[in-house]
Amino acid sequence: MRVSEPEKDKSTPERPWPVRVVSQKIGAWVGKLGWVWIDGQLAQISRRPGTQVVFLTLRDPSADLSLTVTAHRDVLDAGAPNLAEGARVVLHAKPEFYPARGTLSLRADEIRQVGLGELLARIERLKRLLAAEGLFDPRLKRRPPFLPHRIGLVTGRASAAERDVLTNARRRWPAVEFRVVNVAVQGPAAVPQMIDALAVLDKDPDVDVIILARGGGSVEDLLPFSDEALCRAVSACRTPIISAIGHETDTPLVDFVADLRASTPTDAAKRVVPDLAEEWQRIGQARARLNRAMTGLLDREQHRLDLLRSRPVLARPELMVDGRLADLTALRDRAGRCLAHRLSAGTDELGHTLARLRALSPAATLQRGYAIVQRPDGTVVREPAQVAPGDALRLRLAGGEVPATVTAS
Amino acid sequence: MTDQDISYEAARGELAAVVEKLEAGGTTLEESLALWERGEELAAICQRWLDGARARLDAARRERAAEPG
Repeated sequence: MRVSEPEKDKSTPERPWPVRVVSQKIGAWVGKLGWVWIDGQLAQISRRPGTQVVFLTLRDPSADLSLTVTAHRDVLDAGAPNLAEGARVVLHAKPEFYPARGTLSLRADEIRQVGLGELLARIERLKRLLAAEGLFDPRLKRRPPFLPHRIGLVTGRASAAERDVLTNARRRWPAVEFRVVNVAVQGPAAVPQMIDALAVLDKDPDVDVIILARGGGSVEDLLPFSDEALCRAVSACRTPIISAIGHETDTPLVDFVADLRASTPTDAAKRVVPDLAEEWQRIGQARARLNRAMTGLLDREQHRLDLLRSRPVLARPELMVDGRLADLTALRDRAGRCLAHRLSAGTDELGHTLARLRALSPAATLQRGYAIVQRPDGTVVREPAQVAPGDALRLRLAGGEVPATVTAS
Repeated sequence: MTDQDISYEAARGELAAVVEKLEAGGTTLEESLALWERGEELAAICQRWLDGARARLDAARRERAAEPG
């Protein structure tokens, strides 16, 4: 098609370009890119009956971008006969502008399905690259909080993974709070949606840990979790992230960049909140030990005190007095005995003296009829010259005294 | 330090010393009596400490038993 307008002319409001001119120019620009090899994921494939052209929607696996591709049925049959939606492909194509509808599409002349082996090899290469960059460094891992405020959960809508995380976490800690963001967890939309969800939850100040969960699936189903853009997004999050993808044996790359890897969504629930009953039990046990320790200490001390108090010096203080009292009694006894001894000795002596006294007594002589003549002052009269007539005398007889008077000498 | 402030351990230590001194003998009656009175005093202080501790322990237990859940 020839255009009459001079190419170098600028468009102006006075001299605007007709659609055909613009369309032709766009076609020329688009054509300049030429043939390229493209890596992408098949989002849609439509084989229309009655036509030899197949329409494909090719998506970037990490971003929300897509391109339309057209290919001849033969091209498809030759390179990728079993092509299904979601497959990773490498194709040789040239962009073309369709002036009739003003649309752009790629025309492919060769399509190769990227096999699982090649995909896994790519993941292995990416793993080495990320490891070399230090994204798996254990020092980057942040510890999720012991008891989170609010837990962010990124998972499929109404999925078993969502139910497993919510049910198990609530069973362990009934007051647990979640902010759930549902995303596609497989297929071409998965990675961009998950990256958006992570960004939203990472910005929420109440969310202090994020769980990225998905139930088990085929290796292909889990491919989005080894996506480079997703891994980098997880690594860039400031909130600790727990990955809980598939089963125990699945280890997508996101497991390596996450702060904590849970083997399953149920395991993530166990790791994200403590078990209330278990915590109560632990506190109970600690309290019981505390009680036993305290009671034991008091019992031991009481025993020690009892021992001290039961020592005779304290328990029987009367001994202190008793001992001295015994000494005192003994002394008194000794004194008593000493005195008694002296007394009896004295009594004996008295008896003897009395006997001697009695032996010397004149009473027996008087009994025989003798009398003792005494002057009133008691002087014994032995000589007649001792008296004169008229003197009073006393005559002492055995039976008593008789008064007398001297009549003559 | 008054007897109100004396710790359980200090009271028990002094009590043991008093008992030893009494047991060793050689003190006058007046001294012995004074020692014995001090010993009784110290034993009473020790017992008050132990009783007090046990009462607090029992109170804590009753409180715990009264707790819901």
